[in-house]
Amino acid sequence: MSTGLKCRNCGSNEIEEDNARGDRVCMNCGSVLEDSLIVSEVQFEEVGHGAAAIGQFVSAESSGGATNYGYGKFQVGSGTESREVTIKKAKKDITLLCQQLQLSQHYADTALNFFKMALSRHLTRGRKSTHIYAACVYMTCRTEGTSHLLIDISDVQQICSYELGRTYLKLSHALCINIPSVDPCLYIMRFANRLQLGAKTHEVSMTALRIVQRMKKDCMHSGRRPTGLCGAALLIAARMHDFSRTMVDVIGVVKIHESTLRKRLSEFAETPSGGLTLEEFMTVDLEREQDPPSFRAARKKDRERIKDMGEHELTELQKEIDAHLEKDLGKYSSSVFRQLTKIKGDTSFGSEPGTPKSVCENDIEMEDSRQFIDQSNAAIIKDLIEHNEDVKKTEPGSLMAGIEGLRPDIEAICRVTQSELEDVERAKQPMETELVIDDLNDDELDQYVLTEEEAVTKLEMWKNMNAEYLQEQKERDERLAKEREEGKPERKKRKPRKKIIGPSSTAGEAIEKMLQEKKISSKINYDILKTLTDSIAGLTGKSPAASVDTKPTTLEELQQQPVIVEEGPIAPKGSRSKPAYDLPGPSRKRPKLEAGLPISQAPELEVEQPDTKPTLEQESMIDDDDAEVDEAEPEPEAEPEASLQDMLYKGADDDDDEFGYGFEEEDY
Amino acid sequence: MQFIFKIEDKDLVPAAASHVINPHSSLQPQQPAVLVEPKDAQHEIKLQNIVATFSVNCELDLKTINSRTRNSEYSPKRFRGVIMRMHSPRCTALIFRTGKIICTGARNEMDADIGSRKFARILQKLGFPVKFMEYKLQNIVATVDLRFPIRLENLNQVHGQFSSYEPEMFPGLIYRMVKPRIVLLIFVNGKVVFTGAKSRKDIMDCLDAISPILLSFRKT
Repeated sequence: MSTGLKCRNCGSNEIEEDNARGDRVCMNCGSVLEDSLIVSEVQFEEVGHGAAAIGQFVSAESSGGATNYGYGKFQVGSGTESREVTIKKAKKDITLLCQQLQLSQHYADTALNFFKMALSRHLTRGRKSTHIYAACVYMTCRTEGTSHLLIDISDVQQICSYELGRTYLKLSHALCINIPSVDPCLYIMRFANRLQLGAKTHEVSMTALRIVQRMKKDCMHSGRRPTGLCGAALLIAARMHDFSRTMVDVIGVVKIHESTLRKRLSEFAETPSGGLTLEEFMTVDLEREQDPPSFRAARKKDRERIKDMGEHELTELQKEIDAHLEKDLGKYSSSVFRQLTKIKGDTSFGSEPGTPKSVCENDIEMEDSRQFIDQSNAAIIKDLIEHNEDVKKTEPGSLMAGIEGLRPDIEAICRVTQSELEDVERAKQPMETELVIDDLNDDELDQYVLTEEEAVTKLEMWKNMNAEYLQEQKERDERLAKEREEGKPERKKRKPRKKIIGPSSTAGEAIEKMLQEKKISSKINYDILKTLTDSIAGLTGKSPAASVDTKPTTLEELQQQPVIVEEGPIAPKGSRSKPAYDLPGPSRKRPKLEAGLPISQAPELEVEQPDTKPTLEQESMIDDDDAEVDEAEPEPEAEPEASLQDMLYKGADDDDDEFGYGFEEEDY
Repeated sequence: MQFIFKIEDKDLVPAAASHVINPHSSLQPQQPAVLVEPKDAQHEIKLQNIVATFSVNCELDLKTINSRTRNSEYSPKRFRGVIMRMHSPRCTALIFRTGKIICTGARNEMDADIGSRKFARILQKLGFPVKFMEYKLQNIVATVDLRFPIRLENLNQVHGQFSSYEPEMFPGLIYRMVKPRIVLLIFVNGKVVFTGAKSRKDIMDCLDAISPILLSFRKT
């Protein structure tokens, strides 16, 4: 065997396969790895009533446990997997849909593959299966270039075509399938066939094709449904070939509105190709491509607007500008006059008082005022300092220098000011909460508010109009009140999100937290569990007294506690929710339990001995509905320490650990 | 080829160079980008609609609001909130029982702000203990006319992962830009609609990113 398979038990590569027996055996350790091999040949055997095939058929899509060497026997559930069922159903429906659309099996297979891709990426969730099937089929049609429209498929499936379109877009985007744009030419043949053109169908469709090509060149197709173009082209082509097809005939086939068809026709007429005679059109290919009609329409609109503006707005604008200019001019001259009167000396009378001069003058003013401020400041400060005894000792010269440099230095400029700090504070706060109404016109808003009488009238009117709703509301309130009286529980509110449990210092603490978090079963008495975990905490040396305290309560409640012990290996699921507590089981297990438990618990267990029998009786009664809990229970009982360990290990190495544990269990 | 484009990008937008390379720019078409003409570079972006939300932080009695104001309508069977309209700035508010208010229809940010506060003021006039909290622009819709026709098919082919163009369903090409996160509707006549922007800057950035792409798909 060169399949590269490995024995699950010893890791040997020597695996012998026998197709006749249908098994696979490891030649090293001798374990039978598989006893129901999948073969690709059919054998028959004779049975009582004729011949029958040996074994059973396995579908190619199934992903059964064939490769799980060693696990095989533990696998439960022989039926088909749910995914397989889903795919089977999809296959059936997609095939049916393809048949309705007259698509061959090949398309159905492609569509099914799309479906499988969607399924594996969980894109089918939350969508109707009919939509998914239809979208898969449509994707196939588009990639393969068949003459099917979205609306055909939605028509067959009886679903909204936009909804289908959304699903299709979502799928094709998520699956990264680049789908070519629709080509109107694809649909010509299809529609031509339906126009009952007899023998000339081909000729007409060829002409129509030529027209559509021309339309495409002139960019008439972008942003338009392909059916509109096809309709227009077919109408022209049919008439060119002396068929009297009316617009209504074409509309009936391509399913568009008459105005759309008319618009396409007139758009085509506007293109240069539309202006050619029939013979010319069939022979001449114009090189120039036209702009899309919508673009030309927009430009035309623009031109009209500009023209309109030229007539009306421009003149008004002109007037406005003139008025402004005049006003500015007036201001300007007056300011010039002012300047001239103010400034004596260096400005000569005849020179143009331009802007640079005024700027310059501003600067001079600023400089003057600054000097004045500096000087007066220095004088005052000097005065003050002279009165102050302490500073007198210092040199007058340096003092003067200090005063001269009183202007803000770099540090002062860079320092954050109080107002800036406030700004920062304000930004930190969430947002202003008070309504600022400074710039609002209250009078205007008052208009919206009604007077008392008006309000009453409006309320009356509203009540009349919404009488039905009010009635319903009243009934609902009454019903709710009644329900509350009857003590019906209020409707469940959505549970709050799960809290994240932080790390815990001891195992006992962790278990306690886990138990608080999720209740494993309603049939477990959690109070007991609590006491038991307390005792476990005691083991770790936290509270040694706990186990002694809990004894009496444990006894009473243990009688009601159902316990079932499973002999088989523990399913991984059970151990996931395994709590670390011990409950009395069958006496068979007792010695082991005692051995595993520390001495502090021993007296308690001895008292429990007589209860074992009733517990066993109960076991059979609740066997069915408590299965999940049961799987969890025996484990800690058999080996409490191991279970604790298990729990600690759980996060790290789930599968292996559990599996190993299962084997240990078997050895007992 | 790609390398060249990256450098080009840096030259064009030095500010964006430090960011992660915009996926849209790395997907530039094979043909060299046409230089942006000065007259094309400045497009008039028209804001069409602004949606803002805020809260007045108090429970509102919708029936009272409806009956005491002239400009409101309330039909709880159809819609749970009061619809209140205003003339200047022309906008509409949806007022809910919880005190949350949506203000739509304003043509610019200023109007949205003033309109929102006016609605709050009206509620204040009706005697509710009104605050003005959590004001936020939620959506800005803007349009621009690029004044050149665009080959939507080619654009869809090259930018397939961002765009979807199905003339059977919608005449425009829907372009989902990742950064800034804006959805554009691009039409064959060169008109573009931006939606999903949170600020004016988003739209400017988006236009800066998309206009070279669109220029390269210009139908000559």
